[in-house]
Amino acid sequence: MSLEKLARFAAGVSLLVLIAAGCRGTQYARVIQPGQTEMVGSHAAGQETFRPLIDEAVVKLLARHESPTHMQVSTGPELLPPPKMRLCFVGVENKTAEEIGDFKEQIYESIDSRLLECGTCAPISRRYVEAGLMQTRIRPSDLFVPDNMRTFVAIMEQQGQPFDYLLFAKLTSGTTQENKNYQRDYMLTLELINVQTGEQDKQSAMISKGYHQSWIGKTWAQGWPWSK
Amino acid sequence: MERECCLSHSHVVRSAAPAAAAGVFVAAGLICLSGCASHADRLAQVRSAYFANDLSAANAILDAGIKADPREADVLKLEQAIVSLSAGQPQQAEKLLREVRDRFDELEGTQLANTASYLTDDQRRAYAGEDYEKILIRALLALTNLMHDGGDAEAFSLQTIAKQEEIISAAGTEQEKNPKLAYQRVALAPYLRGILREATHLDYDDAERSYVAVVNWQPGFRPGPYDLERAARGTHSAPGNGVLYVFALTGRGPYKQEVVEVPSSAALLIAGEIVSAVGSQTVPPNVAPVKVPRVVRPPPGATQSVAITVNGQPVGTTETITDVSDLAVRQYEAVFPQVVARAVARRVVKKGAVVGAKEMSGLDKGSLAGFALDMAGVAWEATESADTRCWGLLPDKIQVLRVELPAGEHDLALAPQLVAGRPGLARNERISIVNGRNTYVLAVVPDTAVVGQVLVSTP
Repeated sequence: MSLEKLARFAAGVSLLVLIAAGCRGTQYARVIQPGQTEMVGSHAAGQETFRPLIDEAVVKLLARHESPTHMQVSTGPELLPPPKMRLCFVGVENKTAEEIGDFKEQIYESIDSRLLECGTCAPISRRYVEAGLMQTRIRPSDLFVPDNMRTFVAIMEQQGQPFDYLLFAKLTSGTTQENKNYQRDYMLTLELINVQTGEQDKQSAMISKGYHQSWIGKTWAQGWPWSK
Repeated sequence: MERECCLSHSHVVRSAAPAAAAGVFVAAGLICLSGCASHADRLAQVRSAYFANDLSAANAILDAGIKADPREADVLKLEQAIVSLSAGQPQQAEKLLREVRDRFDELEGTQLANTASYLTDDQRRAYAGEDYEKILIRALLALTNLMHDGGDAEAFSLQTIAKQEEIISAAGTEQEKNPKLAYQRVALAPYLRGILREATHLDYDDAERSYVAVVNWQPGFRPGPYDLERAARGTHSAPGNGVLYVFALTGRGPYKQEVVEVPSSAALLIAGEIVSAVGSQTVPPNVAPVKVPRVVRPPPGATQSVAITVNGQPVGTTETITDVSDLAVRQYEAVFPQVVARAVARRVVKKGAVVGAKEMSGLDKGSLAGFALDMAGVAWEATESADTRCWGLLPDKIQVLRVELPAGEHDLALAPQLVAGRPGLARNERISIVNGRNTYVLAVVPDTAVVGQVLVSTP
């Protein structure tokens, strides 16, 4: 390369650098309106996974425990609303292969809100549950030791928060590897236990996600070019 | 060559004088631009005042520096945050740290494209922070937040973990091409998350995950396996007890020093000689060496750890959860070739600009005007100095001790354990432990005694 070309090259590089220097590292944001395309977690589960899991699991579990809308009292003509299920939602346990970070609190709150909204449940406030566990120093997983259960129920009654059911939520995952791509199945399981009888009911919801190293891999996995 | 033949002698004479004058003018201008007091000088004064426990003097120097040079304002605010924290103002410290965190984020990705820095040196650009600083800002935000309301501490610890992953993944995924894959992780972040989740008495699974990260990232942290075991099978504390966490920022942390990159200087010398020999113009001789900043670990500090006594009974000494100096030095070494490459690129741009100016002016090789431009080029290159801006009041180590205590009032004593084996000047505090909850204490011990105040918080 002659020095003249070198000089032109240097001038060209300087021009590019000048242009690039004008771009600042500004971050932008937008409000996602209902119905607009939401983001999909590219490396881990996000709202696209958790929200439908919660919706499906909670709705199906509560549908099985719906009481008749009104109850006939034998001695009189009046109709009374059915008693609500007094429910202690203990928490969400993350047993997936991923760190869900700030999503855990949101999953708890979403499930708790849906329980409250459904009208058939009367979930105890989380603050009482935390206070009860703190007072007794019982780990949620140890609540099924009979003595622990009795102690916890007694403490909650002392707080004016008696309950008939314990509810646990557990997130699990299973991973299937296919070369550089992998599929991860996410399952949310809600486990409802009657503290008097020990009977349990369980409802799971599952979503599978494929993670791909490239756009081509993703498109290929979706069936292109054979799919419509 | 054809173009050179077409140039008349008189044209060369006419264009040579302005070119030489321009060269002298440019050199003088650049000397003025880079003739300011270095960050290292100001930092030395700040460190000296701070380590002598003269927080107001340290703050005054920092205030003056922030006013004097906007390019240094961000990094000086980091120092101010540490001074504020030591002065018992965690809210002010948090405000400053948040401000700089956002500013560094804003500057991220713009640094390579700073024209002025190619024409002078890296000190002409706004300081965007080293990777370890960006991560430690978030870790210290978590710690600082714990010392007042604690409401955002978990979010900051999650941000720390996310930021270090973001920095590493942004540099590529291939092992051989991404030097940042070798970065050591900051175990303080998952540790803080672990202790916060444990204190809910509900989310032991989160605490367990966090302590797994602590054990993996800081294997030398001896309490790590016990914390993990407690999260997996135990409880936060026995009924009637609370937990005290004593955090100590010990020793003097890493800083940047200007060093001469000898291999790069030699390579440029040879390259310059070759181009001068075969080209139609001479390249400015490589008199000025290539200077680059290097993060160095200070000599071992006086304090090894802090011994904690509760109600007159020794309960243990703090253990290192994050070795800041080691983290900084290792992270910086991983990207040091890129720092050198940038310095070499800058030198090439300068040499290319001088040669280009001579070509465009149509100067003859070996002419007086060409010599003058070469001298101006040498002067230009000599104005370069390494960018030694850095967060200079970071500690050498972040240490912690966990103690379970009965709820109620206790007398706490913190005594720095000196390397020589004798205790340093102890500091006494009255603390309150709450049943089932955490109480946090933070002390900064850069030398043989606590600097500023000991912070106590039960958020």
